Amino acid sequence: MVNDKNSQKIVDFIQNWARKHSIWVLAYGTGCGAIEIPPTMTSRYDAERLGVRGAATPRQADVLLITGYLTVKTLKRVIRVYEQMQDPKYVIGFGSCTINGGMYYDSYNTIKVLDKYLPVDVYINGCMPRPEAVLSGFARLQKRIAEGRANGAQQYKDNLEWYRANQKKIIPNWIMPEYNW
Amino acid sequence: MMKELKEKIVQRIKANFADAAEKNDFNYNRLDFTVKKETIPSILFYLKDEMGFIHLSDANCVDWLEEGELELVFIVWSPKDKIKIFVRTRLDRDNPVMDNLDMIWPQLNTYEREFREMFGVQVTGLEAPDEFILEDWQGPPPFRRDFDTAAYAEKTFWERPGREDAQDVRETIANRDGEEIPDFAKKYSR
Repeated sequence: MVNDKNSQKIVDFIQNWARKHSIWVLAYGTGCGAIEIPPTMTSRYDAERLGVRGAATPRQADVLLITGYLTVKTLKRVIRVYEQMQDPKYVIGFGSCTINGGMYYDSYNTIKVLDKYLPVDVYINGCMPRPEAVLSGFARLQKRIAEGRANGAQQYKDNLEWYRANQKKIIPNWIMPEYNW
Repeated sequence: MMKELKEKIVQRIKANFADAAEKNDFNYNRLDFTVKKETIPSILFYLKDEMGFIHLSDANCVDWLEEGELELVFIVWSPKDKIKIFVRTRLDRDNPVMDNLDMIWPQLNTYEREFREMFGVQVTGLEAPDEFILEDWQGPPPFRRDFDTAAYAEKTFWERPGREDAQDVRETIANRDGEEIPDFAKKYSR
């Protein structure tokens, strides 16, 4: 195939079409929001009909759901998990706490704005978002993938230094490996 | 019967520990003693070994900021008598030091680690890792009342600025729907 712009477009279209129908979510809950995932996945709302299902390890997963508040201690693990995930990978910020701190706005140990530390593709607001809202968030993510706009991972690679500086600002004792893509 | 039992317990403790100040209301299944810091190990040993208060329900720290003191509260329970005893002691707030007590109840180890991390109480002889729940904590002990969590959070974490056009839209909605805002709701208006 000739490596021109038009053929690349076709390849991208097929790639994104395939990606958007197999969103595998890492089974990892950080806050209270993880309690909304079982009803989303099981028979009542049945997210698997949209291609959304659980994955056991970060290396098999496509989507990292940040379900609720994120303490500094958990943020460390979340960064580690996110960096282990393979492309394509997306982050969904779930609940008010990831957007502006929510009810933990004055807590001494929880972050307030998630997108300073990890690239977020889709936010779902609510405290807690109901399974309908979660499904709507997944639908929005699928739409963004199809349009080729869910490029948080690329953004993270390009601006790694900025993200690292933000992360190191609140994690003073940095003992994790330094990646260089 | 219950009252006699409680009076007996109070008498026994007062006979053994002269500095135990009691503040008791016999209407509840609960006795309350305040002792000096040095008496804490002996009174807890005595309650556990001699009087059947074998169960440690809780151990807590209370910050009395105005009085410049930290109060430790140990709550013990007797399954036989169905009575709860609060044993209290006060520590100096600027230099709080207590002795390690986890030889009495091993689970006190966890509570002492919490005192140390959250209230800054020095526990002499405590064998445990330095960190309990917080990781890489560099600020002051967060459960003390003079620690301003809102100011600390504002200083440490980013805050998302609110929308500039955020307005009180209740009046608009009420006018649109032909409703009336009740008087009690008006005073909460922004």
